[in-house]
Amino acid sequence: MRTPTVAALSGWLRDTSVYRSIVRHGVEDTNLNRSLVVLENLFLHVHPVKVREKTLRLGHTFWLGGITLACTGILFATGILLMFYYHPSVPQAYQDMKELQFVVDNGLFLRNLHRWGAHLMVFAAFAHMLRVFYHRAYRPPRQFNWVVGVVLLLATLGLSYTGYLLPWDQLAFWGVSVGTNMVRAAPWIGEPFRFLLLGGHVVSENALLRFYVLHCVVLPVTLILLVSVHIWRVRKDGGVQGPPEDVP
Amino acid sequence: MSSSDPMKRRDFLTLTGVGACAAAAAGAGLVTLDFLSPKVLFEPPTRFVAGTPLDFPEGTVRFNREQRAYVIGTSGGVYALTAVCTHLGCITRYLSDENVIACPCHGSRFDVEGNVVHGPAPRPLPWIEVKQDTAGNLVVDTAAVIPAGTVLRV
Amino acid sequence: MSGLPPIAVVESNDPLETPRRVALVHPDIRPAVRRSEERMVMTFPHLIVREIILFQVVTIALSIAALLFDAPLQGIANTTETPNPAKAPWYFLGLQELLHYFPPVVAGVLLPGLVVIALVVIPYARVNLTAGPLWTGRGPRALLGVAAAILAVAAFAAVFDCWPVVVPTLAVGAAMLAARGGERGGGTRRAFARVTLPEWIMTWFVIVASVLTIIGTFFRGPGWSFVWPWTTFRTW
Repeated sequence: MRTPTVAALSGWLRDTSVYRSIVRHGVEDTNLNRSLVVLENLFLHVHPVKVREKTLRLGHTFWLGGITLACTGILFATGILLMFYYHPSVPQAYQDMKELQFVVDNGLFLRNLHRWGAHLMVFAAFAHMLRVFYHRAYRPPRQFNWVVGVVLLLATLGLSYTGYLLPWDQLAFWGVSVGTNMVRAAPWIGEPFRFLLLGGHVVSENALLRFYVLHCVVLPVTLILLVSVHIWRVRKDGGVQGPPEDVP
Repeated sequence: MSSSDPMKRRDFLTLTGVGACAAAAAGAGLVTLDFLSPKVLFEPPTRFVAGTPLDFPEGTVRFNREQRAYVIGTSGGVYALTAVCTHLGCITRYLSDENVIACPCHGSRFDVEGNVVHGPAPRPLPWIEVKQDTAGNLVVDTAAVIPAGTVLRV
Repeated sequence: MSGLPPIAVVESNDPLETPRRVALVHPDIRPAVRRSEERMVMTFPHLIVREIILFQVVTIALSIAALLFDAPLQGIANTTETPNPAKAPWYFLGLQELLHYFPPVVAGVLLPGLVVIALVVIPYARVNLTAGPLWTGRGPRALLGVAAAILAVAAFAAVFDCWPVVVPTLAVGAAMLAARGGERGGGTRRAFARVTLPEWIMTWFVIVASVLTIIGTFFRGPGWSFVWPWTTFRTW
């Protein structure tokens, strides 16, 4: 009797009506099926069915936008997991950090992943911006996408800054105090804006809760929406543009 | 292709790659589940001191509201029942004139040994552990269920 | 759009009327469009697989960093005790260093605000879109203009004793001026001669920002005093 091979098993699986109700395209290695993999999937169909081969090379864009997006995914996953053990109140927040680091299994690892992912994301976003600039990939028709990108950079910095306060240790508290004091220097709107941001005159429980909501809800939603617009516009503008010689 | 042909290199590499991804995903899933399962709980302790054997002569039924337990004295000793109704979790109360434990939510009634005498409760009230510490005090543990009828002789 | 026939536009609200072409957009009207003979490949598997691999590589790299280096956690926040020095997160340390020289309105509001505005305006400024090499087609007056701009920026920073801005400005300025006439030189000189004005400005900005951030991170100790990076000090 023939031992069932992996290929035979997966072939049988693909023939079942349940599988075919979920995945509607065939498995033969045809360009039609390859197109359908992209077209019939909600998440994948932001891609065009074909891409320019040049754009796949590492040196074309150094994949910096992709690195930033990968960091975003990792930060969302680790951030949500960390939320299961964190109360945004004083002094519970600090005690939760201790609990995460010393009591919860893999708490230290996930917190570290979150922190270094955040640093990498800020750095990669800057590097991506510089790459686009030096390749002059902001020229028409890509102008507005550059502006969307600048807003995304500000959102990234905002996410990093709001998250910085959440551990409620000396580093967090005074780092944010210094930053919000800089805001005060703005004429007319500085002080009111700082009052709104902190929910008061000083960095306190109110500030922690506001930063928590900004960090976990407002800014992530903004990021997702704007990243979607950003990637959609790249697609509509003909794909990523690499070195200027690439442009006819 | 017959199953005795050596696997093509492409298929081997595909299998290895997909297998590695599957292993990593499974590992990540297990790590996540382990992370989410708390090892330290901040819930209040379930053991409490109910008093001394002298506080429970025959016929005494004491209701401890915070711990949700009845501590009952009989001629043979002391035992304890949980006061949480087995139907849907409401706190019962002891009606001394009728010598019955009644639940206000859906009308379940239990006798002082926990057996259901009326109402929708599916199971009798569990008996919970009573021990004596070195000083002779009675210590009840509401989380430790023991077989019905086990009375601590004091 | 030469070579195309003139188009007559007919307006009609009659739904039964056959639609007429009102405009023909020649496909090559946009500058950043692919050539028709460029080689295309299927997104699946080529791009998708690379995206998956990229995600895995980033995850592995970050996991290794997370296993080796711990995120900091100092004592609980104490509103009465300011650590010395009290430093902002690294991406704001450049600003904090700038605060050492300029008043808060300038360092905290004006300069960051101008930077953001300048970034947003980049794709709409004609100088960015049409830029050729800095010195091509520019005479001696341009030389004076560029030198004057460099000296003005350096002077403004020097008035506030801001050496981390003065030194890179003069260095980049010198490189800009030295690039003049480099078209006939060797490979490096030619590469420098090809740099456009927007690229020079952005490079200047990146260098200044990096210098400020590096100083703020490694060279500042208690009281924001200048220390060498290997100097150990306590923050309380």
